[in-house]
Amino acid sequence: MRHRQMPIRMKGMARHATFAPLAAALIAVCVFLSGCGNGNRIIIGTQTFSEPKILANMYKLLIEDRTNMKVKVMPDLATSTVVLDALTRDDIQMASLYSGIILDNYFPIERTNDRASILKQAQEGFDKHYGLKWFDSYGFENTYAFTVRKELAEKEQLHQISDVKDKAQSMRLGVDTSWLEREGDGYEDFQKVYGITFGKVYPMEVALVYNAIATNKMDIVVAYSTDARLKQYELVTLEDDKHFFPPYDASPVIRKEVLEKHPELQEVIDLLIGKLDAKTMIDLNYEVDVNKRNEKRVAEEYLKKVGLLK
Amino acid sequence: MMDWLSEYASFLTSRQEDILIALRDHIYISALSIILGAIVAIPAGVWLAGSRMGWLNSVVFTIANVLQTIPSLALLAILIPLLGIGRAPAVFALFLYSIMPIMRNTYSGFKAVDPNVMEAARGMGYSRMQRLLRVQLPLSFPYIMSGLRVTTVYIISWATLATLIGAGGLGQLIFSGMGVNKKELIVTGAILAVILALAADFLLGLAEKWVTAKTRSAPASGTV
Repeated sequence: MRHRQMPIRMKGMARHATFAPLAAALIAVCVFLSGCGNGNRIIIGTQTFSEPKILANMYKLLIEDRTNMKVKVMPDLATSTVVLDALTRDDIQMASLYSGIILDNYFPIERTNDRASILKQAQEGFDKHYGLKWFDSYGFENTYAFTVRKELAEKEQLHQISDVKDKAQSMRLGVDTSWLEREGDGYEDFQKVYGITFGKVYPMEVALVYNAIATNKMDIVVAYSTDARLKQYELVTLEDDKHFFPPYDASPVIRKEVLEKHPELQEVIDLLIGKLDAKTMIDLNYEVDVNKRNEKRVAEEYLKKVGLLK
Repeated sequence: MMDWLSEYASFLTSRQEDILIALRDHIYISALSIILGAIVAIPAGVWLAGSRMGWLNSVVFTIANVLQTIPSLALLAILIPLLGIGRAPAVFALFLYSIMPIMRNTYSGFKAVDPNVMEAARGMGYSRMQRLLRVQLPLSFPYIMSGLRVTTVYIISWATLATLIGAGGLGQLIFSGMGVNKKELIVTGAILAVILALAADFLLGLAEKWVTAKTRSAPASGTV
């Protein structure tokens, strides 16, 4: 009799499984329901890669050290868009975001690749339309970078993106899950500006593109410029000779009402503004991504080194 | 409301090609994993049901059970150093997941066949092969189909993760939609995955009915 019941019970499970993709799409929402930003506690949300996680941990340490507030870090929100959604819903109160996100149709913008102008538009736009305070940059940008293996770059004399034009048809391109879809600085516009179309394109979780190219599964990948694995695998970044990619300056972003309620935060947040250059950030990322160290430890060690934390 | 609908309709038409490619990849990955799973798991289940080595059953089922419990994202990540990225590791991972429920149901179906029926068949002079094909298989068929249907439904939903390792499919719409603030992409990917799972379940249900009807009528026409 026991056996007879088995198929029926499993069928019931399957009905639930039908809705799993829907659940996956809404998973962020569910996670956020558990969060709350009341009182003296704020939540800093991060994307899936190490850089925003390190930055969030730096702020957690600094804020808890210098104010009487408590900070919770909520890691691994799927994309910057999810992070921004969470911010506007007040599920998280603070995050690190990149100025180029304004290309994703949050409000009307004036197209430009000027670094200062993009940052200014982000600051004004998110202030006006979303009630967010977008700080000045930490001092580094993390933009897209076309990257190849060193030996391929040497063999084919590849220095800038235009150099791959003749070979592109036989190349496998690895990209993150959203680049193909991006308007303005995504694949569609890239093809128009550079006139380059790659033979095969594989979107995947961005953390995998580095290993994929290092192990020859891809010929060229669109990497993130501050990722330490560029250094680890000795990958060569091709110069963006047509200045296609907009700047992606990294800044802390916080809900305005939280800042009004806790003005003491302003001073703490300012501590990192303009203090982290790209090289520093790559080194910190290296500690986490290559040396496999804990983000919090890396953050703490850095803050102590520069004297912000005792 | 109408605005929203017509906007969505124009989105669908403008992205028709990408959506169809994602759907095609999704069907390809899921179907291949389930077919491979059935090829391995149904004979394995039949063989285990007939085997007298009890320890072997527990070993095989334990392995299959353990495979089943590995979180899907972790399994995909583990397979990358072995099989790289793209369709091969995605299909392989989903194939591993499909083994257990198909095998378990096949095994249960065969075990559930009344021993008296088997005895009667033996008494009628049926050979081992005849007993297998004419008695055990038809009687356990609903179990096997139920295993297949369960597996199909959840393989289709899990295949949405395949895009993370570069295998494409409907997950690509969901994840890229999450990346660029386009809710319509997420909704389209999710709805298509649900429809696909329901449609596959429905079709397998029809196939089951059809086969059952066939096999029921066959002996009758022979005897009359």
